[in-house]
Parts: sequence; C-alpha cells; structure tokens
Amino acid sequence: MSSTENLLVATLLVPLIMLIASVPPQWRRRVSDLLALAPIPALMTALLAQDNTILTFPAPFSITLTIDQTSRILLGVVALLWIAAGVYASTYLRDKSESGRFASWWLLTLTGNLGVFITADIVSFYLAFALVSLSAYGLIAFDGSERARRAGFVYIALGILGEAALLLGFVRLALGSPDGSLLIRDVVAALPDSAWRDSTLAFLIFGCGLKIGLVPLHVWIPLAHSEAPMPVSVVLSGAVVKAGVVGLIRFLPLEAALPDWGNALAALGLFTALYGVGVGLTQTNPKSVLAYSTLSQMGVVAAAIGMGIAAGDASAAAHASFYAAHHVLAKGALFFAVGVIATAAPVPRTAVLIISAILGVGLAGLPFTGGALAKAAVKPELGYGVVGVFATLSAIGTTMLMLHFLRCLTVPISNVRQKLSAGLVLPWLAVSAASVVLPWMLFASVMGGSVTDQHSLYALWESLWPVLVGAGLSFALRDWLQNLPRLPIGDIAALFKEMIPAATRLSGTVEQIEARLRDWPAAVLSLLIVTVMLGVALVVGH
Amino acid sequence: MLDAGAVAEASSAGNSLLVLAIALPVAGVLIAFVLGGRSAERIALAFIPIGLALSFAIFFDIWREAKALTYVLGGWQPPLGVRLRADGISAVMLVVTALIMSLTALFARAGFSTPNGVVEARRPFVFWTLLLAVWAALNSIFLASDLFNIYVALELLTFAAVPLVCLDGRAETLAAALRYLLFALVASILYLLGTALIYGAYGTLDIGLLAEHARSEPATWLAIALMTAGLLAKTALFPLHLWLPPAHAGAPPAASAILSALVVKGSFFVIVRLWFDAMPGLMTAAAAQTLATLGAAAVLFGSVLALRQARLKMLVAYSTVAQIGYLFLMFPLLIGSGAVDAWNNVAWTGGWMQLVSHAFAKAAMFMAAGLIAEATGHDRITGLAGIGTALPITVIAFAISGLSLMGIPPGGGFQAKSLLLTAATAEGQWWWSIIILAGGLLTAGYVFSVLAQMFTKPDGELALLTRISWRREAVVLALALCALLLGLVPLRPLDVLLIGRGPEAVFQ
Repeated sequence: MSSTENLLVATLLVPLIMLIASVPPQWRRRVSDLLALAPIPALMTALLAQDNTILTFPAPFSITLTIDQTSRILLGVVALLWIAAGVYASTYLRDKSESGRFASWWLLTLTGNLGVFITADIVSFYLAFALVSLSAYGLIAFDGSERARRAGFVYIALGILGEAALLLGFVRLALGSPDGSLLIRDVVAALPDSAWRDSTLAFLIFGCGLKIGLVPLHVWIPLAHSEAPMPVSVVLSGAVVKAGVVGLIRFLPLEAALPDWGNALAALGLFTALYGVGVGLTQTNPKSVLAYSTLSQMGVVAAAIGMGIAAGDASAAAHASFYAAHHVLAKGALFFAVGVIATAAPVPRTAVLIISAILGVGLAGLPFTGGALAKAAVKPELGYGVVGVFATLSAIGTTMLMLHFLRCLTVPISNVRQKLSAGLVLPWLAVSAASVVLPWMLFASVMGGSVTDQHSLYALWESLWPVLVGAGLSFALRDWLQNLPRLPIGDIAALFKEMIPAATRLSGTVEQIEARLRDWPAAVLSLLIVTVMLGVALVVGH
Repeated sequence: MLDAGAVAEASSAGNSLLVLAIALPVAGVLIAFVLGGRSAERIALAFIPIGLALSFAIFFDIWREAKALTYVLGGWQPPLGVRLRADGISAVMLVVTALIMSLTALFARAGFSTPNGVVEARRPFVFWTLLLAVWAALNSIFLASDLFNIYVALELLTFAAVPLVCLDGRAETLAAALRYLLFALVASILYLLGTALIYGAYGTLDIGLLAEHARSEPATWLAIALMTAGLLAKTALFPLHLWLPPAHAGAPPAASAILSALVVKGSFFVIVRLWFDAMPGLMTAAAAQTLATLGAAAVLFGSVLALRQARLKMLVAYSTVAQIGYLFLMFPLLIGSGAVDAWNNVAWTGGWMQLVSHAFAKAAMFMAAGLIAEATGHDRITGLAGIGTALPITVIAFAISGLSLMGIPPGGGFQAKSLLLTAATAEGQWWWSIIILAGGLLTAGYVFSVLAQMFTKPDGELALLTRISWRREAVVLALALCALLLGLVPLRPLDVLLIGRGPEAVFQ
C-alpha cells in the first residue's frame, strides 16, 4: 500500500478504533480526553495524500476512497475544526458524567463527516452521509431536555427524509451508469445523458439541500444549533453541514451546461441567503443568529454552484468549496466565541467582541479578511448581472446580521461560569487565526493568479462598500431592528406542529379500521375478497 | 420427462443430504416423544448443530455445482414417487433457517430448561419438540417438489407453530393461538381445494410436470386464486393479518422469533414456488399488481399501527405485518420486465434479501424485547427509560436490527430496499418507490421513538428484576450482526438465487 492509501484508511480507521476503545468503561474517560487526536490522520491526508489515487478495499467490503483537489481543501479545514472542537469538547466533558456516550456519538459523527469527503463510490458516500446525519442526532439531543429532544426529533425526521431522497437519486445514478461502475466520477459523467436525469437532479438537490438548509428545508439548522452543546454547534455548522456542500459539488454535473437546473438552484440559494438574514435578524439567541447566518451562507454556496451548472463551468466547484472552507473556520470560530463568552468568565469581553466582529463582518467580505477572499473566489459566478445584485444584497444583509449577533453576544446567555481554561480559549483563538490566515495561503492555488490582485483599490472598494452600507443601515435602523417581531427559532417549524393533530387523527382511523378487520366476519369476508380479486386479476390478464 | 441433465443431477452423491435435512429433525421429534422428559432438550441441542452443518453442506454443494440437487425417494420417478429438489432459493432458506434455529436454541436454553430434580416439565418438552417439528416442516417446504407434499408440510408447520403461541397457557395467548389455528385451517382448506382442482385438471401435482403441462384456463385460474389466498392468509399479508399480532406478541420470545422470522416465510416461499415454478407464465400484470397493492397496504398500515402501539412486543409484531408487505412488491417488478428470465431482475435478489434480512433482524428484535421484558417485568414502551444503559448489548442489537429494517446502510435491509428501488425505477413503476420510502420513514418513526425512550435518563434508578446473562445478550447481538453483515453482499443480482431457474434449467 502506498502512503496515500495508508492515509486514506487511517482517516476513517483512527476514529473508529477510538470508538471501539471507548466501549470498556475504564477507557471511556481516556478516550473523551483524546477526542482531538481522532481527526489528525484526516488533516495529514489533506496535506500529504496524492490526488486521484483510488483505493479499493478488498471484497466483500465494497468501499473505495479517493481525494482530489476540491475535496482536499474542505477535508483539511474540516479536520482542523474537528481537532479544535475536540480540544474544546474534552474540556467541556471534564465535569460531565456521561462523557463516554458523548464521545461515541462524537466519533461516529466525525467518521461519517470525514468519509463524505474521501469516498469515491456512491454506496460508500451514502454510508458516510447516513453516518454523519444520523449520529449527529445523539450529539444534538445529548443533554436530554425536552427542547433538545424536540430539536433532535426535527433533525432526525428531516434527516431521514433527506436520506430517502438521496437514495432515490443514487439509485437513478447507478441505473444510468453505462458499465455498472458505481464510482462517483463515472456515474456523474453519465448523468447528463441519463434517461432519469431530471428526477436524479431533483432528488440529489433535495437530499443535499436539506443538509445545507436550503429554504424550506432549513428548519432543523436553527433548532439543532440553539439546543446542541457548545462544541456540537461548532462542528454542526462548520463541518457537518458541509456534507451537503460536498454532495452538491461532487454529484451535480458541472461540465454539462444545464441552465434550467443551474438557475433554479441559484435562485433557491440566493433566496435562502436573504431569507436567513431576514429571519436571523429577528432572533435573540446568539447561537440561533449564527445558525441563520449559516443557512444564509450556504445559500450563497448553492447559488455559486448553481451558476456554475448553468454556465457549464467546472471551476465553480473549486470556487464554491473555497467559499465553504472559509465558512468552516469563520463560523466555527464565531460559535467558539459564544462558548468562550458564556462560560469562561474572566476573558476580556472586548477582545472576544472585536475578534468576532472581524470574523463576522468578514463573512460579508470585509477587506483583508479571509472572507474577502472567499467573496472574490465566487465572484466569477456571483459577481455579475442580477445574481450580482442579490449577492451584494446578501453581503449587506450579512453585515447587518453579524452586527446584530454582536449585540446579542453582549447579553449574557448563560450563568454557567467555568474556570478560564486553555482548553476553551485556545481552540477559539486557533480557529479564528486560521480563518484569516489559511484563505490567504490557499487562494492562489485555488484561483490561480496572485493574492495581491485583490489589493487593487477597485477590488478593495468593491468588497468594502456593501459592508459600509450594511453597517450604516444597521446603525440607522437600530431602533426598528430592535423592535422586530421575534420569530420562533426554526420559524416555519411551527407549521409542522399544526400537522401533528391531523396525523394523530389519521392514525386513529387506521386503528379503527384494524379493529374492524379483526372481527371474524370481516376476516372471512376479506379472505373471500382477496380470492375473488386474484381470480379476476388472472381472468383479466388472459 | 427425464432428460440427461436430470439423471446426472439425481445420481450425484451429495443428494442424499436432502433426505437427511428432513429426516434429522423428524427423527429428533420421534425420539423425543419416545424417550420423553428431559431428553427433548438434549436431543434438540444435539441435533441442531448437525442440521446446521447439513444445511451448509447442501448450500455449498449447490453453490459449487451451480445447479439444483434432486433426490428421488426409492428410485420412483414422479408422478408415482416423491422427489426432493433443492435449488438456489431452497439452499439459502435452508441455511437461514438453520442459523436462526441454532441461535434461537442457544437463546431458549435459559427459558426452557427442565428444572433439576423434575423428570419432565411440560413447557420445555413441548417447546423443544415443536422447535424440531417446525424445522422439519420448513425444510420439507423448501425441498418439496410436489404440491401435495407441500400441503402436508404446511399442515405440519401450522400444527407445530400454533402451540408455540400458547406455551405459557394464559387465557389471552390461548385465544390468540385459537384464532391463529382457525384462520390457518381455513387457509389450508383453500389451498387443498386448489390442489384438488389442479389434480383434476392435470392428473399430477408434481411441480416439474405442471410447469410443462399447465395451461392457462379457468380451472387453473380458480385453483391458483384459491391456493394463493390460502397462502396469503398463512403469510399474514394485509388484510389477512388479523391473527398475527396477538399470536406473535403473545408467544414466548424464542417462539416469537421463530414464528416471525421463519414460519410466515414458509408460506411465502410456497407462493413463489407456485407462481414461478409450477405455473411459470401464468402471472398476469393485474395479478402481480394486486399482490403488490396488498403488500403496499401492509407496509403502510402495519407501520402506522406499529407507531401506535404502547407495548414493545406488539410494536415488533406489527412491524412484521409491514415488513411482509415488502416481499410482495417483488412480483410486479419481476413481471414488468417481460423477459423470460424474470429472476435475473434485481427485484428477485431484492425480495429475497428483504426476506432474509428481515428474518435475522426480527428474530433479534423479538428476543431483545423478550430480554427487556424479563429484566423490567413489563414491556410498556413508556417505561423503558434507562434500559439503554442497563442492557446496552441488547439495546444495541435492537438498534442495529431496527436500522436494518429502516433501510439505513450498512445492512441487509438497505440492500433489499435499494435493489427494490432500483427495480422500481428501471421498470418505470415509480409508485412502488413511494411505498418503499414511505415505509422506511414510518419504520424510522417507530424505531426511533423506541430507541429515544430507551436512551432517556430515567427519573429514578432503573431497577432490574433479574440479571440477564451476557450469553443471551450475545445471541441477540449475533442475530442483529447477521442482518448487518448481509450489507456486505454486493448490490447486484445474486448468482446463488438464480441456481436451478431460468429457461435452461427446467424444474426437474
């Protein structure tokens, strides 16, 4: 085996070995102290593995792994975030009684999350996707409160719906594959000519769109983020959600110009981007504000991918994943900041607020931040025409949303006071720094050209003015914004609640029918009817 | 009638194994009756490993030779003599049955051992004897090549299965057993009527001969409709499932596992034999759609009812009603292609995969429910908080099985459902995809509601009535892992299921 293959295997195997090690009670505590080590092989894979080596496991394990330029960046930053969050989680768990249970769910979610970036065939991808989706339930509902369980329920219900849609899409991809190959690159190459092309795309976009929170499939994001324990919110928003991004990037045929599908996805993405901002402004819980910002940002990513499909431009994949990679770190750092302010009392609040302001407004494209480069990366897709107008609107909105977030952050959300501990502060500082520095290091390799091109006065002005407008609006409308009606977390989730009585009635009816069928006369009659039906079906056919 | 291939098959040395596969459990039943008392358990435990080895031997024989095995009893060819025949699906069913029988026996030792100092106890004696009888009946069904022999085997199966329901002698289980018995007998009458009609029309009940001579005519249609309706009643397909939930939920866990995992599959196996081997080409699109419509109704109806159950064993029993429905989705997907070798379609593999993975998963779930009831003294779902930490292995086994039923990878249920979905898409019968996925969502609903409850922190300390031995928990886990390992089977038509069928392999 080559070193690339070893790295790919270790990426998934190390978290799984730690999972097994967490089973004996005497080792549980040890494992939950070492959670940060589990993603290290993934980081090494991102740094060292060779592109496009396909590793096939021996039969009967039909797993294939690979890595390419696009997934490498996402895998690297996601691994980095999981490492930082692992340090945070180990500290967070120190005084918790059920750290073993937490560690198991954590490692399962991690394995699935890393898997979606490196699996090379649709079955393995589906397996990894299901693993990250379903295991995250255990993390979200971890504290067992009524609200956490409700958030977990919504999460898992939508998650399974997404799995179902993906399965339908994958079945169609497999059927369209010319020579029975299940490798993602082969099935996607055959997709534009497949007889099931449109239904395949619809199911794939549904399944992945649900994961990234495209409206109206977004309700789980704010609910889950506001209820999950702190380190869980970090990885949910930063890393888990990216499973949907990587799904869109890898399964949508970017080379084939499909304007209808591309434009539809772009429109949905931009709508989500603005919707997230709009509803986010009505939230008061800082974690919920950040969650809405997440779905807004993912809307931008979806829009970039959509424009890429419309134009048949494969480079959109790299651009969108660069944008998403910046979001991994920036959003992770912002969630860490919420945790630091809420629990580690003696940290100077102003320091936290300033760093958060830079990173937050960075999401809107503040010059010299990683966010400005992220915006520049998707400029080929979102920089022009009507789409450009909406993208600018979303940048203005993001500025307002982030300033709103800072305002919410100044209100203490929790009375829990933990001792200031390096385990809580260092992950935050490290990820904050990475979110500014890494985009600078990676920009040239993704976009070609030089970073310094972004320093022309014109480029600076172009990314600065939406921020200024947003800040100005935020200031001018501050009273109005303060008095906005407060929408419930998860906004339209309330509509689902309305459906519960109807569903209960329906299932009650089913139970009544069942009671009828159980009577002997009804039973004998059904036997007779079935016989007649079969007889008639035979007569009719011949 | 006898071609060269059949002669070669009949003379192969391994074929007498087929007789042993039936004779062994029958001998076990007879010896247990003669010796009586405590010997029933010992005989069962001694015979079951031998039977397991036999089943595997037959399976590997068929797999290696890639053709069906036949054995003609006493050298008399049909229609005069009795012939046993094992093709690919028989081989798979033999092995699955033997595996589940063995694990059930290991599980049941704790509940059905004769107490020390007692010469004979009714429950253990009856249980072990009937376990062997069920096995004999199932193996006969899998190996029979004659509709009347199948009738005899079905009767034996019913009479062995019904007392398993009321082993504890409580009034409600007696009522459930009686309901089961009456319905199964009515079903037998329908089947027998059908066989009589066929015999009248063709003068033979041999499946191979019928396959050659059966004509599509009113008498045949009536016969097949009657027999199928009877078999559907025994398989408990909606709306003929009324007997199943109380019977399967009321039986002791080891018996429930056998009933839900294997006994209902026996009559399903006969339906497949009847339509695809005895009367190939008779199935019309309308008949296939009718069967699948009933299956779809079972999936939805059974799952919704499972969601509404307050007791764990009833929930698991209604889940069986739903999962049986999936088996019938295979028919229109097989017929739809119109090709002669319909079973080369992925639906054929998907259907059998569903049957096998459900067998393992459901056996595990019933045993898990049994252990939980034993430990807590009840099986109210709302009272299960904390059981996840008290009996982790059992609950993990339950979870693995539940995930397999839902169709979450990896697992046999996922393979089954994705193969059926593939077939539904390829055949353009998209409406079955909706049923498959809606069933999956509802299954997720009831599995997760139970699991969430099991992992909730209890209000106080959860007091267990008895300690559950890890050996029994391990058996449950082993069954669940079998369902999980089926996920390693490649996602394509499985060769072994095709052995002995297709145009070149006439049912001989």
